[in-house]
Amino acid sequence: LKSNGRIGPLGTGGLLLAGLLALGVPVAQAHFQLLYTPQAALQESAAIPLALVFSHPFDNGFTMDMGKPEAFYVVSQRGDAERRTTDLMPYLQPIQWSGGESKASAYLANPPRSVTRSLGDYTFVLRPAPYYEAQEDKYIQQITKTMVNIGGLPGGWDEPLGLPVEIVPLDKPYANWVGGVFRAVVMANGKPVPHAEIEVEYLNHEPEIAARRFNPEGKVRAPQDSFKTLSIRADAMGQVIIGLPKAGWWGICALNLDDDLKHQGKELSVDAVLWIQATDMTK
Amino acid sequence: MKHRTIAWIISPLALTAAVGAWAHNAICSCFDNGDETITCEGGFSDGGKAVGVPLHVFDQAGKVLVEGVMGKDSDFRFAKPKVPFRVEFDAGEGHKVVIDGRDIEK
Repeated sequence: LKSNGRIGPLGTGGLLLAGLLALGVPVAQAHFQLLYTPQAALQESAAIPLALVFSHPFDNGFTMDMGKPEAFYVVSQRGDAERRTTDLMPYLQPIQWSGGESKASAYLANPPRSVTRSLGDYTFVLRPAPYYEAQEDKYIQQITKTMVNIGGLPGGWDEPLGLPVEIVPLDKPYANWVGGVFRAVVMANGKPVPHAEIEVEYLNHEPEIAARRFNPEGKVRAPQDSFKTLSIRADAMGQVIIGLPKAGWWGICALNLDDDLKHQGKELSVDAVLWIQATDMTK
Repeated sequence: MKHRTIAWIISPLALTAAVGAWAHNAICSCFDNGDETITCEGGFSDGGKAVGVPLHVFDQAGKVLVEGVMGKDSDFRFAKPKVPFRVEFDAGEGHKVVIDGRDIEK
């Protein structure tokens, strides 16, 4: 099994990082493409705001510049009615987003309510521009899905969208109690990926869309670096199961799913990201 | 049609533009198309279709203004009444959803 834990770019902690690297200590930080909206399960139709940010969500680490996405759209389905695809590229608004260590190019999108006024499942899909990771001298492209449901009427949440790489849910990504588990299958080119390398991170610093930043106050503290990015493997069937110990958004990223891809002469790692939301059981 | 077990209880809280909460219950949502027509969509929380489910539009006195059934796409479009109205999506006993016309947005 290969390992390609990512090394964060040199920032304010760069010297420390360099020192740790010199000592052979692995300091892996997970890059995560965010496709954030505050609420995954909506009672009623509403305009759904989205923030597209490329960052390190657990510790509000280095936030990276995003180029103009290659594709950004939503696939919606009400029950087993015909699936609809709506292009969201026209709604992209370039902004600067403040992470804990850096300010970076990111995007907001505020599609009108008419885009999301029907009942059903809405899978937002982002295919970002490849990001050049100088530390590894390669490009990363994280094809990202975030699923929202309106009104409790499901529609195709468990079906692949035919993306080159994707994480296909086995449980509704928008309906998860804290304490439960979430299951999914990692797929590349339409087939499950046995033993896929997976990183899981909790969105510890809540995005504040109006302020265009992450809340500097994290919700939890990791006792040690291994807890910031949870590294796991899919099983022999490409299935992933994660626990959900805390309310909020959890990102699942399957790394480097398509071998031998190049972008501008460099290695291109194509990853699949899926965001799911866990909800507290309360009255 | 799939089995549905849990009843929808009509209450003032149910008078919203999109309602639905428990497993296997009826769900209905309406929106204003902006061209003097209203579209109502229906279904069930298990993903079941609402094809053929009756839908009635009443005025405040309870008079039927529009009578129809959900079409092949589990929806129904009708001319927006000129008077205050409510929509009743009636999927059988315990599966009725009532929507106040004032809660229907574009």
